[in-house]
Amino acid sequence: MGVYDFTVKTNRGVEKSLADYRGKVLLIVNTASKCGFTPQFEGLQKLYTEYKDKGLEILGFPCNQFAGQEPGTNEEVQTFCKLNYGVTFQIFEKGDVRGENAQPLFKYLVAQKKFAGFDESSPMTPILMDALQKNFPEYLEVDDIKWNFTKFLIDKNGEVIARFEPMITPESIAKDIEALL
Amino acid sequence: MIKVYSITQCPWCDKAKKYLTSKGVEFEVRNIEENEDYAKECAQISGDTMVPVITEDGKNFVLGFDKAKIDALIGGN
Repeated sequence: MGVYDFTVKTNRGVEKSLADYRGKVLLIVNTASKCGFTPQFEGLQKLYTEYKDKGLEILGFPCNQFAGQEPGTNEEVQTFCKLNYGVTFQIFEKGDVRGENAQPLFKYLVAQKKFAGFDESSPMTPILMDALQKNFPEYLEVDDIKWNFTKFLIDKNGEVIARFEPMITPESIAKDIEALL
Repeated sequence: MIKVYSITQCPWCDKAKKYLTSKGVEFEVRNIEENEDYAKECAQISGDTMVPVITEDGKNFVLGFDKAKIDALIGGN
């Protein structure tokens, strides 16, 4: 069983085999809901713009399992939502990424790359830990995805190379992507 | 007629619609996720794909759930 054995549906309902991405470097990300403060979309789009011609594909999987609980948003006064977040990489159908009903692809990804802790040096870590302890303490106990914007980096042969937790920004993993292109 | 450009699962769109209803304003919902023509119209009006966009004449519009601006827009009704 490998990444290329999974079939997923795009946000327009079209079935897509991940085998179509063979030979590409993939960044698979569980993205946030359509609203709220989601600056990582911008960072992901920048990565995509910079590296797509060199063989990077970003696959976004919207999930609302963390909806309404986004940390660090209090100071953001935003009263609108955005269709597809303004990104041009492929967005897939909304679905669960953790728990019993998680999409098989995500069950596979977290089995390949288990949770190895958060980056303690990030200012977002205490905020996220606080939000998790208050709202979803059980999320901390297993290897499942902890929050929006967990990123899995997959090489050209379909091997899951790395898992980056939510506080690791898209900008900071550019070098990891470059190493695989 | 006021038009509200929106998408599904958009709490701000829902708030805007409820607010208009509470003010007794009739409006037409245009879902830009389901209808590409509406998506194009919305992008022409606001220059983006953010919602809700509330407009009557397609020129003056309110982006987002901004009560004061909505009041100004519907003031003439």
